[in-house]
Amino acid sequence: MGKIVFAGAMSHVLDPDYYQRACGALGRRTVEECMREIAAMGERFSATKADALIVVADDHLNAFSFNAVPALCVRIGRHVQRMSQDHAEAFDKVLDHMPERYALHEGLANAILERGVERGFDLALSWEAPVDHAFLSPVNTMHGTRPIPPLVPIWVNCFVAPQPTARRCFAFGQHIARVVAESAWTVGIIATGGLSHFPELSLPRVGETDTVFDRRLVHWMETGEHEPLLGLTGDELHKAGEHEFLNWMVLIGAVTPARADVRYFGELPRINMAAVEWRLG
Amino acid sequence: MSRYAVNSLLYRLKKDPGFRAKFMADAATALADADLDDAERAAFLARDMRKINELGGYLHLVMSIPGLAAH
Repeated sequence: MGKIVFAGAMSHVLDPDYYQRACGALGRRTVEECMREIAAMGERFSATKADALIVVADDHLNAFSFNAVPALCVRIGRHVQRMSQDHAEAFDKVLDHMPERYALHEGLANAILERGVERGFDLALSWEAPVDHAFLSPVNTMHGTRPIPPLVPIWVNCFVAPQPTARRCFAFGQHIARVVAESAWTVGIIATGGLSHFPELSLPRVGETDTVFDRRLVHWMETGEHEPLLGLTGDELHKAGEHEFLNWMVLIGAVTPARADVRYFGELPRINMAAVEWRLG
Repeated sequence: MSRYAVNSLLYRLKKDPGFRAKFMADAATALADADLDDAERAAFLARDMRKINELGGYLHLVMSIPGLAAH
């Protein structure tokens, strides 16, 4: 019987140079502190010797263009490529030094997809979509020079309205947990992004965060009170700059009713950075 | 206002270096066939990313197009 052996969520632009440019010395110091905690989480994950790592993240309008924007998409195939971007700027630049190709766990990805269809989740699939910093920045920070287990990248449409609901993401996470339990594999799962930043996706509001909203989310995760999280609306998440919390909702659904421990929470003018790990039985 | 027209153009500017170079050299010619209304076209010609965002351009695109990104 398979098992989820590790669950963590974290911010995903893990680049001291980016935050130095955006927020000065405080930005660098904050992201470096957060990265140290994420690296420690990675050591604990590696110690589990898991067969696969599910990465729930979002596309920053890089992989899917506008000919199709899947609400929930599973990357299948044997390998996935790092996104390539000429003259990369801002958050894209963090990818520059990372390995270009990553193994996938084809069996687990296919099981999530195929059993999804049987159980009410008609998921999108992709054989070709590359992954951007939302996937690779946390994965590489967690692993450093250690081997990275086969990945199962899953995209949640966090930005292009209408997005899936928090409740739907949670239910999808429960589906993932069932698939893992029915499998022969031990599996880690991470969700990336956030916490509060870029409210309303408005350029004039870049630099604002909603720490009060973040603290509420953190409280509910720490106490394992997941019912209030199910009621979060798209409008609330949009206004508070919590778009990427939908990724976290998938993870929370996969591990509910587990409680979370906050490994790091740091406020910056541009974003509140976080690293959270769940206590799994 | 067309969210699709604005964002598909932003996407092309980010991902197609040849089109981006053409835009940088002569924006009016590069946009000649683009399905934009007057306000959208004016914002692109002015390279006004704040206005483009206000007109529906996705934040992550206006913040990451090489040479045009707003920070």
